Amino acid sequence: MKLFVKIFLWFLAAIALMVGVIIFVTRTFQTEPMVNRFQRSTRNQMLIYGGTATQIAGAEGEAGLRTYLSRLRDLEPPREVNLVASDGSVWFGAAGRIADSTELIGRSLSTGTAETDFTSEDRSLGAAPVTFPDGRRFVLVLQWDRQAPPSLFWGSTLGYWRLGGLLLTAVILCYLLALYLTSPIRKLREATHKLADGDLQTRVAQKVGRRRDELADLARDFDVMAERIESLITSQQRLNRDISHELRSPLARLNVALEIAKQKSNADTLPIFERIENESTRLNEMISRLLTLAKLESGAEEVRRVPLDLAEIVRDVAADADFEAQAKGKCVEVSSADSCPVMGSENLLRSAVENVLRNAVRYTAERTVVNVSLKSNNGHAVLRISDHGGGVPEEELTNLFRPFYRVGEARERKTGGIGLGLAIAERAVKAHKGTITARNFNGGLQIEIGLDTAKNSEA
Amino acid sequence: MDKILIIDDDEELCELVSEYLTVEGFEIECVNDGATGLQRALSGEYDMAILDVMLPKMNGFDVLRALREQSKLPVIMLTARGDDMERIVGLEIGADDYLPKPFNPRELAARLRAILRRAVTDGEGDGSEKLDVDGVQISPASRTATRDGLEMNLTSVEFGLLHELLREAGKIVKKEDLSQTVLERKLSPYDRSLDMHISNLRKKLGERADGSERIKTIRSVGYIYTLV
Repeated sequence: MKLFVKIFLWFLAAIALMVGVIIFVTRTFQTEPMVNRFQRSTRNQMLIYGGTATQIAGAEGEAGLRTYLSRLRDLEPPREVNLVASDGSVWFGAAGRIADSTELIGRSLSTGTAETDFTSEDRSLGAAPVTFPDGRRFVLVLQWDRQAPPSLFWGSTLGYWRLGGLLLTAVILCYLLALYLTSPIRKLREATHKLADGDLQTRVAQKVGRRRDELADLARDFDVMAERIESLITSQQRLNRDISHELRSPLARLNVALEIAKQKSNADTLPIFERIENESTRLNEMISRLLTLAKLESGAEEVRRVPLDLAEIVRDVAADADFEAQAKGKCVEVSSADSCPVMGSENLLRSAVENVLRNAVRYTAERTVVNVSLKSNNGHAVLRISDHGGGVPEEELTNLFRPFYRVGEARERKTGGIGLGLAIAERAVKAHKGTITARNFNGGLQIEIGLDTAKNSEA
Repeated sequence: MDKILIIDDDEELCELVSEYLTVEGFEIECVNDGATGLQRALSGEYDMAILDVMLPKMNGFDVLRALREQSKLPVIMLTARGDDMERIVGLEIGADDYLPKPFNPRELAARLRAILRRAVTDGEGDGSEKLDVDGVQISPASRTATRDGLEMNLTSVEFGLLHELLREAGKIVKKEDLSQTVLERKLSPYDRSLDMHISNLRKKLGERADGSERIKTIRSVGYIYTLV
């Protein structure tokens, strides 16, 4: 939505600026010459008035001149008319001398031609010399209200209508334009999110519509990409299934054949058969863990998130692990298990906790305790599992989560690990956007898993 | 002798399993595809079927679904190990038990015996008095369970679990005991099949009118059928 607002405001600002520039340019380059022309014609008219008055004074005498001047005064628009003698006395003029006209009168007398004064805001003055037949010199002065050119927007109803219409058009236009530009982006974003959330069938070109621009190209490119990802993941899933099936079929047969052989075996051969059985179990375990790991790494397994309580999983797994540990003279102790509602896949989280915990049980020294603590802290669940197995060299700590990484080869074999447990745990936690770290603590290894808890407490 | 039908497309595996189970005292017949398997299973000649999920043409789930429409023949499903969806779907459709492949044949034989024994004893008088707890009635003799007069379609494991829980209604039944009496195997750590069966049973039982669960979980101990 931010982009939408940005585009909207930018276009609005651009339109406002453009209107401003147009008004400014019009004023400067169109109105000013017009005003100049108007002033010149006013001056010419004054000359004609002055000439006419001189002629009438000659032909019809003073009475005729007065009639003419009265007619001149009564013309529209309303104006004030003076006839001022060269000595300053007013020969004609109802309301006496027109204010501030002395300078203009002087100018007209000295130049002997028409003069105008447009300096005042609200009135204009014009003066022209008039000569009586007896040689007396007068000046005809006209004063009329100045009419400022009407403002485009202000001061009149039409102006407000004009302004309102312009604004409304600009807003609607900008809104539509912003919508047109951002709606495909929004759709693309929604599609990207859906794809990231595992809906591999998401396509977007149809939704963007029949555009022919870069955004439509982007949508089509997105679809091509989505298709490719979908086919990659599908083939990965199929490969996993095939591997799972093809590798396990011979193992299944091997198991049965082995059992038949055991039925027929004697005391000498039985231990060997049992050894074979152990190895086959281990092989099978390894295959299933490798497949789990492959699924997690490729993201082929969609993480179906449901609300669940991490504490329940931890307690469950701890109880099972304790049962397993007791048989080896060790034990698992849950020191705290705060309720931690999380959104996640029960299977993945269970396998993460189980792998870490069984790993701890495997390595902790005999007659020691594996401590499990789950704490809820500010919307964050922290699970710590600590053993007493002597820990791991500092520089090896980060390598612990690499598949098949072995800290001590001989020891690992003896304890029956296959080096995938922590790798699986790490991927499972990462799939939940959590963190997993290892450190040496109190004569043993401590693995810490951090997960965000669900916001709504009902989960 | 109990007659078992194996439906699996792996012919060599079928041969080996036949050989092993024959020594264990079962009579075996193998079929390699789903359609024929369904036909044979519906013939009524068998006491039990072992059904693989991955089958050509008609997969194990389809076979089981079609079978359950007409028959209550006990079925063990062979699922891919680690594929929980297969397990859950199988149990939901009505498999009596499942075994991840590759399996230990001894385990298979033990489970076959357990399910067969249950099928036999259920029909006998042993502890088969009818039970009726707040609208849920079960009749061990006919192996039917009804809720508010409507028959629920329970698998034999679910029926067994409900029977045990109702018999001890209001008291906690330990997981170990349930595993022993119903699944006829020791409860092993990290095994969630009991929880899964209970969860399916819960779904079929539904909640009480006030929204409370009929079967409650007592963490790391067992389950209790609550009384109102």
